[in-house]
Amino acid sequence: MSSSPPAGQDGPVAALAGPAGLAGPAGLAGPVIEATALSKVYPGDVTALAGLTVAFAAGVTGLIGANGAGKSTLIKILLGLLEPTQGTAKVLGYDCVKDGMTIRQLVGYMPEHDCLPSDISATEFVTHMGRMSGLPATAARERAAESLRHVGLHEERYRQIGTYSTGMKQRVKLAQALVGDPRLLLLDEPTNGLDPAGRNAMLELIARIGEEFGISIVVASHLLGEIERICDRLVAIEAGQLLRADTIDSFTRASQTLLIEVEEGGAALQKELARRGLRAQPFQRALLVPIAGDHTYDAVRDSVAALGLPLSRLEQRRHRVEEIFRDDDQPGQLNEMEAADAY
Amino acid sequence: MRTDTPQAPQSGPPAAGGVIHDLGYRRYDGPRLGRSQIVAALAWHSFRSAFGFGRSARAKIIPVIVFVAICLPAAINAFAMSRGNAQLVFYDTYVPVLRDLVMTVFVAVQAPELVSRDLRSRVLPLYFSRPIKPGDYPLAKYLGFTAACLVILEVPLLFLWAGAAANVHGGAAVWAQTRALIPGLLVGLMWAVSLAAISLFLASLTGRRAFATGAVAITFLLTYTLAEILLQVETQSAINQGGVGPGGVPAATLAMKVSGLFSPFTLFNGVRLWLGGTNPGDNVAQPGAFGAVYALVLIVIVGLCLAGLAARYRKARLS
Repeated sequence: MSSSPPAGQDGPVAALAGPAGLAGPAGLAGPVIEATALSKVYPGDVTALAGLTVAFAAGVTGLIGANGAGKSTLIKILLGLLEPTQGTAKVLGYDCVKDGMTIRQLVGYMPEHDCLPSDISATEFVTHMGRMSGLPATAARERAAESLRHVGLHEERYRQIGTYSTGMKQRVKLAQALVGDPRLLLLDEPTNGLDPAGRNAMLELIARIGEEFGISIVVASHLLGEIERICDRLVAIEAGQLLRADTIDSFTRASQTLLIEVEEGGAALQKELARRGLRAQPFQRALLVPIAGDHTYDAVRDSVAALGLPLSRLEQRRHRVEEIFRDDDQPGQLNEMEAADAY
Repeated sequence: MRTDTPQAPQSGPPAAGGVIHDLGYRRYDGPRLGRSQIVAALAWHSFRSAFGFGRSARAKIIPVIVFVAICLPAAINAFAMSRGNAQLVFYDTYVPVLRDLVMTVFVAVQAPELVSRDLRSRVLPLYFSRPIKPGDYPLAKYLGFTAACLVILEVPLLFLWAGAAANVHGGAAVWAQTRALIPGLLVGLMWAVSLAAISLFLASLTGRRAFATGAVAITFLLTYTLAEILLQVETQSAINQGGVGPGGVPAATLAMKVSGLFSPFTLFNGVRLWLGGTNPGDNVAQPGAFGAVYALVLIVIVGLCLAGLAARYRKARLS
């Protein structure tokens, strides 16, 4: 499922327009998460976060980083379970050090690893977790049933969790995060351990929660390719620092390229393009040129015309976000991935 | 409040195919419990799981057997008294060996049910991400399990009282029974707060339930055996040295008293005797003033176990 940006914007806005009683002091217009010069150094001089400054707007945001980039440490600090060494963090306008309890009432968390007991039913488990989120008994039962229905568990919710497939367990984990009616969901690697079909289903579910339920979501993942499909924005961190934070659109816009295929004279064209300041990379029988603006198209047209080459294909390509994070000096890898992507 | 309440699921945008989970999402704007109420809810949940409620039928087997076993003496006593016999079972001692054994089984099987299970399934991060503090989790477990132990210890005493009260005649006799019951209930409280602390701490050391049960059972049985053997040896040597008191029972020597420090059950009995219990304990020397040491050791053990339990959960780990 591809998230269409207009729908992705309309959902939350429409839902949040109502009198949302649990809005933070900053209201809902501000960022849902704000980290300022956030650092965490563990005993033994292990630096997990090194001056991270970033803001997460409402909507679905992907938190991208390799294992060890500082994602888990950031989540712990955001939940108020770990004090930062330096800097401040705010969630929904609340300070993570002072107002951890309030934040935990407003935030649903889905851990990466298995966290479900096997010998009770999903209904009982999610009801109990609803109680632990502060719901009275009756409300906990009702919301547990609803949450499980929202994640797509029906009759099987009365079965013991131990009999579930991995995909169903992931749904129960999502349901327990949802049961307390959070304003913000922190999902840590929600597609972990799922097969491709299960991944797609989970991603669709997350996109739906973000769009239709009006809940802001942070999806932490190391798999860019899959979460870029459902996110409005991406925050990339590396070694505890911000690599980049932007909307998906600007991520992809920056990575647009032009594929030029000529029947002969490819090498000459590459040279001519270089003379005009365009760095063309050979890609199979074609050339790839990064688009810097309208003048790129002009330069390509002029080059082809000047050399009198038979142009057989000119195509604008939208790169996957993944390529932004790759080293430029690995053309071989680029070609492989392009090939897989294009054909 | 949003418009898409469940009463009007069709009022939203028409969902393609009308799949059931396309019913709209509902906000919750009802009351929310505070931290202390959440702790109370968790304590109640723990209390229930100590008896297997909310679990499979299999989880109820041991609690039921334990409860029936420990209630039997009260029933036998009521029967015996109805046949004109004197009271067989007393409130402050109940049936010592049976109670030691039954409580050992109960805490060895049920303490892991409360804590090891959560460690094993790694569910703790879900608790820590909720509006409570990490220390609230062990607190709630302790409160819930102490209450569960109290039920096993005190309900038979109430049955015993009811059976006795039904078989004595006159308000004064019933009042005498009631006055005898109160110290019994207090002794039960001492047992409950101590057993829950020790067993939960031991069980919290491992997520492997069988290991946890083994650790708790072995701790209680071994220490009890050790205390008993030491008492036997010291009693024998006291007899050999000719220190036989009236009725062939040797006066309690310091070594005999010290032997009682090695097991929770002998500590309970020692403290009970020190506080004025009159029914003889079957497994401990008459402590006299040394009973203060028993009380002190018991308090230190319980304190250490509770501190250990709290330390176990101090770091809110998310993985």
